[in-house]
Amino acid sequence: MSEIPWSLHLLSEVLSAFSVEDPKALITVINRVAEAVDAEVVAIVGADGVRHAIGFRDDQFHLLLDGEAIPATIPLQGGSLHTYWAPLGQGERLVVGRLSHGFDLEERSLLRAMARSVELSSEVLRAVTAERRAKEDALHQATHDALTGLPGRALVLQGLDQLLQSGRIPGGETATVLFIDIDRFKQINDVHGHASGDQFLRSVATALRSVVRSADLVGRLSGDEFVVVTCTHRYEDAETLAQRIIEQVGRPQMLAGKLVSYSPSVGIAVGEPHDTAESLIENADMAMYKAKEQGRGCHASYDASMRELARGRAATETELRRAVRQGQIVAHFQPIVSTDGRRVVGFEALARWCHPSHGLLPPSAFVAVAEDTGLIIDIDRLILESTCATLGRWKQQFPHLQLRLSVNVSARSFMDPLLSERVARALSSAGLQPKDLYLEITETMLVEDIEATTLVVDQLKQLGVRLAIDDFGTGYSSMIYLKRFPVGILKIDRSFIDGLGQDLEDEVIVKAVIGLATALGIDLVAEGVETEMQAQMLQELGCNFMQGYCFGRPMAVDQAERMLTAVAEMQSPAQLA
Amino acid sequence: MSSVGNQIQPQDRTDDARDGAKIDDQDRWIRVGTSIAADTDQAVSEALSALAGVGQPKLVLLFCSPAHDFARAAALIAAEVGEDRLIGCSTAGELASGLATRGGMTLWALGGEGVSVAVDMGQGSPAGLRAAASEAAGCLNRVERRAHTVLLLLADGLCGDQAEVVRGAYEVAGVDVPLVGGCAGDDMAMQQTRQIYGKRVLSQAVVAAAISSDAPLGIGVSHCWEPQGEPMLVTGSTGTRVLSLEDRPALDVYLEAFDAPPDVRHDHEAFSAWATTRPLGIRRRDRIEIRFVSGADFEQRSLLTIAEVPQGGVAHLMCGDARSVLEATQQACQMAADGLKGEPMQGMLLFDCVARRSVLEDDWLHEEIGRINAVRGEVPVGGFYTYGEIARTRGAGGFHNQTLVALALA
Repeated sequence: MSEIPWSLHLLSEVLSAFSVEDPKALITVINRVAEAVDAEVVAIVGADGVRHAIGFRDDQFHLLLDGEAIPATIPLQGGSLHTYWAPLGQGERLVVGRLSHGFDLEERSLLRAMARSVELSSEVLRAVTAERRAKEDALHQATHDALTGLPGRALVLQGLDQLLQSGRIPGGETATVLFIDIDRFKQINDVHGHASGDQFLRSVATALRSVVRSADLVGRLSGDEFVVVTCTHRYEDAETLAQRIIEQVGRPQMLAGKLVSYSPSVGIAVGEPHDTAESLIENADMAMYKAKEQGRGCHASYDASMRELARGRAATETELRRAVRQGQIVAHFQPIVSTDGRRVVGFEALARWCHPSHGLLPPSAFVAVAEDTGLIIDIDRLILESTCATLGRWKQQFPHLQLRLSVNVSARSFMDPLLSERVARALSSAGLQPKDLYLEITETMLVEDIEATTLVVDQLKQLGVRLAIDDFGTGYSSMIYLKRFPVGILKIDRSFIDGLGQDLEDEVIVKAVIGLATALGIDLVAEGVETEMQAQMLQELGCNFMQGYCFGRPMAVDQAERMLTAVAEMQSPAQLA
Repeated sequence: MSSVGNQIQPQDRTDDARDGAKIDDQDRWIRVGTSIAADTDQAVSEALSALAGVGQPKLVLLFCSPAHDFARAAALIAAEVGEDRLIGCSTAGELASGLATRGGMTLWALGGEGVSVAVDMGQGSPAGLRAAASEAAGCLNRVERRAHTVLLLLADGLCGDQAEVVRGAYEVAGVDVPLVGGCAGDDMAMQQTRQIYGKRVLSQAVVAAAISSDAPLGIGVSHCWEPQGEPMLVTGSTGTRVLSLEDRPALDVYLEAFDAPPDVRHDHEAFSAWATTRPLGIRRRDRIEIRFVSGADFEQRSLLTIAEVPQGGVAHLMCGDARSVLEATQQACQMAADGLKGEPMQGMLLFDCVARRSVLEDDWLHEEIGRINAVRGEVPVGGFYTYGEIARTRGAGGFHNQTLVALALA
């Protein structure tokens, strides 16, 4: 045997077992202590109980804690457990117990030295663990979204990059990204408040976690934009997952005491060999826009042509912002005439973009971008204020014409609780009465979030402003809202007018709508009247008002003013009375 | 019976697969079945024939060569005896009553009204088996407790630090329950071992059986290796890799001390075979713990072991011969038998290090069987050649190498 005292190298072994890298190092050290002296029991005992122990089960701890004295032996297995209690810091003791025999002088000396090393190890480990935890917390906070607890953009990019680079993708599978955006999320914040918006985002995170596999990565990129990184065998797998996401996220839920449902649009991009994490997420983002264009609440997949479209879309957005700032968005006016006598009774105001390079652009060229970016609210306000001011001026110029104005309002503006205040201000500034103005909306807007709509509609009702329902017959055509809401005008969609004289069904529908409006005392405007034959038939069917190329295209303010001047000369106040 | 494996048996024994036929009516019975048939279906059929007519066993241990189809063997046996009472592992050779086989299959079965059994498993990871052992030891919480209880462990012999298996199981078993068992082998391929739990074939796992009996249980353990030369300080080690001894590369020190032949100095396979009979010993207060050297890193010049050689400790180079191995065999078996306190032995379970078999070689193997028989008499015995042995009867440690561990049941 060596001349080295056995206790010295056993102490050395115990010290070497300690590692700041291993959070369980303390229990390993305790095992080493036991093995070094053939002890069956080792425990750290303090005033508040047993902190770590081997050899004893929880229901045996009382053997170490009973009584105030430190027992030299504890009865066990019909014999005695010989113990040694080595002091640790902070009132704790390292208790070592052996069944065969007591501890001799060298062993007791060794155990005191080991206790000291356990104490130091505990302190260092505690400090290192606290520091490590603080770093992990800081890292977590920096890389995870505080609201949902999901990884943020940086971590998603990192995870996706690792997936693409490391070849960890299981056999035959392809890295796939699903980009999720909540349709009309801004409405939730605007209508139900930001707390409800946050609640909704947390529920989206939960819904996404519930539909993905454990190996998939769910992250929140910003606002209402989420992403799922997964691996798929076939494109159909991604579609199935997208559909599950749409169903799960779109489930009705209570927000601020109201049952609501908001669908997501999902873009799918399947990785190609040259893809980077950034490009794959961009592709999925573009596909998501495609899904929105297809009607929201659905999914679409990326194809190469989308990148060009996205560039165009980004350019349009920049130009549109400039256009709103520089007053390039202007109102044009299309006359509405009475069926009997064909008198001009008012105008529908329509937004146009006077583009410096491309000339006059219709709404279809910019409304989708305006809605997605929120610019639509600015555009609606501009048109409302400018056209009210114009009508106010015209009413002074042509008081006997008793003109009225229909102004289109987008879904986002219509959900805005500030709408009625804005309308009241525009009317007041222009010196108009509420009855002079109709806010033109679609049927869908009324029923989509009926709770939120009711709030706005009630405010408008109080103000005295009435609604014109655009494209009537193409949407829900619910009779309920005709009674419940202050509907002053129904506008029969042009698709039915086109069929007059050619399609019996269209004629039946037009008759039914006219009958309905007459019964409810609501005025009717037939849209898209282009021929004299259509005008004649509408007159015979009892429609009140008409609008279409037959009576005048949308025209600039000066042109409309010239038309009114001509009309005023022809229509004397006596004729109009 | 076709034979691809080899078997060693004393001259007064037959190769009858059945053994222990006289204990049908007792409160506790043990049967051992064995086969060296190459075909898995045939081997299972032959081994199972030992269980014919004794009723439902409460525990069946399958010790099976990696040459067999484990999934097939486990499914066939589980269908016969019940999935909830079968555990087992791959081997580096099998032991049965009067037989030492390689490429074979041994079934060790325990039954009777005087014994209770529960089994469990824990899945580990490449990082280790401590948590898996704790999980597997959970069967102790389910077994109907009688006067004498032991926890039997079968672990992956090539996964992490094997001492952690004992530590993990001891966390659950505590001072009251002794531990015995062995680490699965793979016929010295040193690639992958298997554990069996019902019909499931696992790797990097621990399977366990809690055995509780009305009669005493005896555990014996002995190695009889002797230190060679001066002890050395372990100046560098991480887990199961010994980096330096006395501040010199551990491999160089080891090769020099044992005067290794040229092929062993650069060939992994030759080194592993040669090192089998040249373990390291770690000095403890009153004994030396043996550590099996399983391989070498020729680039890093380090030694690989299957249990930790702690840095700061004192290591010995150990050597042994056939005589010392045989002495240890008799010593361990006798110690186990003595633990029965005069009660008649019903059977024995052996966990015998594969390195000991390498020392004996075929010439002396029959002598080892004879020494075992001398203690057991006519009662059945079964077991396997292991990559590490477990026997905790005192203290908290209990992992061994190059050792024979015997469990005798009264």
